[in-house]
Amino acid sequence: MGMLKQKISSRWQRWINRRIPRSDTQAFSQRNIFIVPTGAGVVFGVLLLIMLITGINYQNSLIYLMTFALGAVFVGAMHQTHRNLSGLTLALIRAGEGTAGDDVPFYLRLSAGKDTSVAISLSVEDSRLDGVHIRAGAASDLVLPIPSAHRGYLRPDRIRIETRFPFGLLKAWSWLRLSSAGIAYPRPLVAPEAGSLVDDGSESRAAQPRVGQDNADLRPWREGDLSQRVMWKRFARSGQMVVADWQGEQGSPHWLDFNSFPGADAELRLSYLAWLVADRVQKGAKFGLNLPGEVIDPDSGAAHGERCLRALAVWGEQPPREHDALPFGTRQTLDVQPAGKRV
Amino acid sequence: MSLLARFSRSNSDAAEGPTQAIPSGALLWLIGSFALLLLPQWDRLPWWLIAACVVLAAWRWIAQQGRVRLPGRWLKTGIMLVMIAVYVATVQGRFTVDTAASFFVLAVGLKWLETRSARDFYVLFFILVYLAAVNFLFQQDILWALLTFGAIGCLLVGVQILNAPDLPGSLKAGWKRLGLLMLKTLPVVVLLFVFFPRMAPLWSVPLVSGQARSGISDTMRPGDISNLVQSSERAFRVTFGGATPEYRDRYWRGLILDYLDGETWRQRDDEPFQRLGRVATDGGVGPLADNEYDVLMEPTDKRWAFALDNSVAASDNVFRAGEDLFRFSRPADSPVRYRLALAMDSAPSSPVLAPAQRYRYLQLPQGGNPRTRELAADMAASQSPVELVNNLMRRFREQEYFYTLRPPAMPEDGVDALLFDEKRGFCAHYAGAATFLFRAAGIPSRIVVGYQGGDAGAGGEYLIVRQYDAHAWVEVWLEGRGWVRIDPTAAIAPSRIESGLRDAMAEEGSFLENDLTSPQRYGDFAALQWASLQLDRINYQWQRWVVGYQGQSQMDLMSRLPGGIGMRELGYITAGVVGLALLIAGVVSGLALRKGTRQDAFGRVMFAWHRLCEQAGVPVRSGETPMVLAERMADARPVVAETARTFARAVNSHYYSSASARQNAADSQRLKRLLKTMKRQLRRYGKPVSRAPRDD
Repeated sequence: MGMLKQKISSRWQRWINRRIPRSDTQAFSQRNIFIVPTGAGVVFGVLLLIMLITGINYQNSLIYLMTFALGAVFVGAMHQTHRNLSGLTLALIRAGEGTAGDDVPFYLRLSAGKDTSVAISLSVEDSRLDGVHIRAGAASDLVLPIPSAHRGYLRPDRIRIETRFPFGLLKAWSWLRLSSAGIAYPRPLVAPEAGSLVDDGSESRAAQPRVGQDNADLRPWREGDLSQRVMWKRFARSGQMVVADWQGEQGSPHWLDFNSFPGADAELRLSYLAWLVADRVQKGAKFGLNLPGEVIDPDSGAAHGERCLRALAVWGEQPPREHDALPFGTRQTLDVQPAGKRV
Repeated sequence: MSLLARFSRSNSDAAEGPTQAIPSGALLWLIGSFALLLLPQWDRLPWWLIAACVVLAAWRWIAQQGRVRLPGRWLKTGIMLVMIAVYVATVQGRFTVDTAASFFVLAVGLKWLETRSARDFYVLFFILVYLAAVNFLFQQDILWALLTFGAIGCLLVGVQILNAPDLPGSLKAGWKRLGLLMLKTLPVVVLLFVFFPRMAPLWSVPLVSGQARSGISDTMRPGDISNLVQSSERAFRVTFGGATPEYRDRYWRGLILDYLDGETWRQRDDEPFQRLGRVATDGGVGPLADNEYDVLMEPTDKRWAFALDNSVAASDNVFRAGEDLFRFSRPADSPVRYRLALAMDSAPSSPVLAPAQRYRYLQLPQGGNPRTRELAADMAASQSPVELVNNLMRRFREQEYFYTLRPPAMPEDGVDALLFDEKRGFCAHYAGAATFLFRAAGIPSRIVVGYQGGDAGAGGEYLIVRQYDAHAWVEVWLEGRGWVRIDPTAAIAPSRIESGLRDAMAEEGSFLENDLTSPQRYGDFAALQWASLQLDRINYQWQRWVVGYQGQSQMDLMSRLPGGIGMRELGYITAGVVGLALLIAGVVSGLALRKGTRQDAFGRVMFAWHRLCEQAGVPVRSGETPMVLAERMADARPVVAETARTFARAVNSHYYSSASARQNAADSQRLKRLLKTMKRQLRRYGKPVSRAPRDD
């Protein structure tokens, strides 16, 4: 039974996904609008049946008339509810950024066709935007906050667009299946050593081996390394660009380094770094970010800070693939996937 | 920012104030509709229930303003228990449709106190819709029907406001939308109404009403009918197939009172007990024959049908009982239409009154009214029955007898007082006195109660007989002639019989003196009369063609259409109408949609191309360039690879050529040809090379 249910459900999903290809824009039409009676609509149908029986039993023509009139209203409402949605175009303008666990704003534009659309609601999981009205031919920019579950890419599988107008007896709905993803930054946590390090403003000291700290790590140069760190003497000798990573340098105020929190979990390190980035940006300091596999040169300013945060957010994460029919990074994923599966 | 203000998390709804969940506008329309729906019932509902409904709805409305709170659980339960207790006390175990309907109203009233969420709103909406249907059981006049439909409209507008509370101008738009919707669906509604097979009741439900109805009753005390004629309510309406009889011949016989019990005339034999059930309202169909007439009677809750002398039944729902009277097989609890025909040949040539009957029609109480008995004995000694009857009529005509709605009280020996002292009375007095005298003189006689007269409705198409036409007269048995109608009123106040009560009471000014609201009272205002008659005509047609459109009338209408349409065909037609309506709705929305996508030939070709891709298992992604799509198509179906690429190039060149140089028609032609080629290639070598990539 469970198997069958699952099979039907996955069939249904596949069928929907075929009708609604992944895209950041979706025009709604007969092709992709679904319409069924709401609970109230079902009750209304039962009520009409009861009224018909009353009419038959009491041989009352006026009750017949009323039943037929209300039945016709129901059928007409089907048309109206459908038309309320059809002709609309929902487009993602920009998938926003936010902190993990908080809402990430998705900026959307809803444009009407030649009909005015009334009381449209957009929803993702348990977050929703109600009562959007758009005049014929006009467009409206909307912000739909989508709660994120953890850092990384955030892409709800589907944004549901729904309307029950005019009578609430029927609901017509469709989905926008985004291909772009928003980003959730790691949640900042106060980094342990941060207070002990003082930025003395000296650039040159960075490259100087400190006394008693000669256990330098030598590694090949890679893009983003500061030129002061290159062992130029060695370059002159062997032609190899080698960079010295001084152990004592970890926690350097100039460099926010992934490796400076030994023993901490990777996610925890990212959280520390996120806090440090925010802290530096707030102080207006110049800093660089060193992540395994990615290094961002020191710079200052809000844009730089965002760049760093974005790097922290997606470090080690794969962007959601086009064909994945699963939500990505939303709260629902916590229910769907076992926690260990994530990177 | 308003955008963010509108944003709400669904689980935060519970935190919102309970009365805020329903927009005030929606609630107001719901309450308004409730008020409208109570109107048709106001005279049948107990006053306390109406008061309670007003208070409860007002409470809900004031709570909406935030000035008071809705009751908590305990208070609510308390109110509910009190109301139900009051209800039980007033109903006292009677179970009728009336009491059921008032319980229904009570339930609606109580529901106001717990209408907090949209869900409650819908519950109330459904209950009110059904309340509207219940109203139709009691009131079927066109004005009440319009009012009820208006209330339904209010409900539907309220629901629209509930669904789009912050939409500016939603009220006007709501009515407009609803009106257009109704208008567009009107043909379907009419077709369904005409063709939906009118089935027999699935089970029999009596519509017993506890409401007192005005109308004649089966007992008659001297003052009874003069009370009844204070009402201008309609008793029945008659359409004649041929000429309408003269006013003085319009004696509508209802029932016969043959037993004098002290002062009260009653029926000797009670009406036989009847099983509960509904009266058949099918009153014959087709055009009326010359001698036929068609009666549309208001509900009386009695089995009596009113008929002219010498009638025979022409419809199934009415049958001839004894004494030349007509009866329904069930009490008339809703308007009934029936049809009778005037028999051409009059009474049988040599009628005989059986001894038992003679005894019955000579019954008198033991004592009382000695002077009348003496007079009767004197007359009987010297005159034949015919002479005696004529002499009594002459006495009425020539002596100073008055016909009045304000007779003096005659508590002791009423007949003596009327005949010899007061000489003032109404039809019931004179009929009673005459019958007493005839019986005392040994002439079998009986009182007939019914109506006499009837005024022409608007356009003169039919007669309206009202309660003030109620009348009582006498029938005497004359050997060789059978029962003969004798009307003392005709001798005393000929104008009553010739032209009606209004003229007979013109001098006294007592016509409808207590019924200030009746248009009939103001006979001098021609405009009022005219309006009232026009309204009655509309109602009459409404009753005949809409309310009375039932099994037989439907079958009659169908039999006039070509082709034998029976119940089964009606079923098919109904199904067809519903199907057609859905189809039209589908086509209309399809067309509206197509209008959006109906571009030039180029657009159509692109549409066809995309469809072809999808059919071939290559999903079209928006924002994809034609070239990329063609490549994916080529991957999936190498057969068409080259054509697809050519196609994409052509599309590109169409896109990038300047608007002026665009040769839409030529481009589209070329693309269409390419498309056709691809289709052919696919058909011919159509095996897909690999399974189309699945979307998941």
